[in-house]
Amino acid sequence: MSTHVIIQMSERASTMDVREVSVLLRGEPEPINRWIRTASAPRTALYVAVIVAGTGIYGAAMGCWRQPLQGLYTAIKFPLIVLLTTLGNGLLNAMLAPLLGLNIGFRQSLQAVLMSFTVAAAILGSFSPLLYFLVWNAPPLAAHVSGVYPIIRLTNVAVIAFAGTVGCARLGQLLGRLSDNPAVGRRVLFAWLTVNFLLGSQLSWILRPFFGSPDLPVEFLRANAFQGNFFENLLQALQQLF
Amino acid sequence: MGATPPRIPTGSWAGYQAAPEPLGTNPVERTPIQGVIGAVEAILRQPRRVMFQMKQPNAGGLIISLLAIAVVCSLVYGVVVGTFSGAQQYWAAPVKIACGMLISALICLPSLYIFACLSGSQARLAEMFGLVAGLMALLTVLLIGFAPVAWVFSESTHSVVVMGSLHLAFWFVAAIFGLRFLHAAFCHLNAKTSGGFQVWVAIFLLVALQMTTALRPLVGKSDRFLPAATEKKFFVQHWLDCVATDPTWNETPPKAPRQDAQN
Repeated sequence: MSTHVIIQMSERASTMDVREVSVLLRGEPEPINRWIRTASAPRTALYVAVIVAGTGIYGAAMGCWRQPLQGLYTAIKFPLIVLLTTLGNGLLNAMLAPLLGLNIGFRQSLQAVLMSFTVAAAILGSFSPLLYFLVWNAPPLAAHVSGVYPIIRLTNVAVIAFAGTVGCARLGQLLGRLSDNPAVGRRVLFAWLTVNFLLGSQLSWILRPFFGSPDLPVEFLRANAFQGNFFENLLQALQQLF
Repeated sequence: MGATPPRIPTGSWAGYQAAPEPLGTNPVERTPIQGVIGAVEAILRQPRRVMFQMKQPNAGGLIISLLAIAVVCSLVYGVVVGTFSGAQQYWAAPVKIACGMLISALICLPSLYIFACLSGSQARLAEMFGLVAGLMALLTVLLIGFAPVAWVFSESTHSVVVMGSLHLAFWFVAAIFGLRFLHAAFCHLNAKTSGGFQVWVAIFLLVALQMTTALRPLVGKSDRFLPAATEKKFFVQHWLDCVATDPTWNETPPKAPRQDAQN
């Protein structure tokens, strides 16, 4: 039975079909255009489930280098950041789209963002065994072995950047098709990425730590979670650098 | 003398890559593969047949056969690896090599599926699993071919570095053929680009090399089955440490007696 027949059957049914995630990964235009135009609670639930599972498993791998408990905390916080960013910017994204030339409603803009995060989460989930393997082979964080922390940090940056880039690429392709104008699609994509980065970075600051520090206790949130912000910290780091 | 060579016909440039013929075009490819021996024959001599059968709904038997080949061949080669040190390594090396190979493949399988989807492939996860099983089967069958050579060297040297390097070299050559099979299968999966596959190959090689360090010792002796948590290191560091401590690479030649001492 071909993938397309399966997708059509799932569209008529009221159940989730995990194989739809592979359609998102491939970026197949016809089924995706159809999905964005029709409301489907099971499909939305599937996206949320993939986001929670993919980012959760990856977050657990990130945090378990410090301690298993940190792994559990990060497994909870990573999906929270994605979902809170999506919901927090939902209204703003829905207002920006028509203002910039793409006439879609709140549900469609929310679904488009969820689709892109689903792609990114699927990629992160698939790389989580690799990250677990890397962390398992690394000397403990508390051992302060030189060179290990940069390797793990750079690996995480590379994987998250790759997943994010692919998610953004698929979102850009979708917005271009919805607007029939690649330039409009790019404008909307840039605007959405900017506001998502603004909110997402601050949520990451509040919900830290994700790796944990060997010199600090394992906590779900730092005591000063709501003091300061991501950009202040970035500016201070740049000032110290120069 | 001075005759002009014939013109090379257009369209026959050696570097021209024609589109691969669709799988199943040859009637032999459509013949089901029966049993383990049939699977060994097919993976060596008829890889396209394996690729075509992997797309069929009842490919489970073929996948199990390929996995069985991979496990058995890696156990046999592991015994050869263990002959260098003897004692506990006669059973520890085969177990580690077989388990390490399977775990490496499982770790890398999800990312391979993702890369296949991103490149436009319609392959199912089960099909990718079968192709990875084919990769492991071909790799380990070729290692069996290297086994007599490896055994002769095992009996001829006492250097862990030399034997380890030799086994890695054999493994690398076998891996090239296995990855070539997987790449050919990838091309038949309607993938539009192979960039993702190339990245995955790099990931697979790194994981496999690190696995040899994570499961050490494979060549040599140790009081422990696996290294302690405090001994964890990456494979490059492990190789450098081995070279630094191997007596063969570090012993100083005995000084020749001074001529004047005899007078």
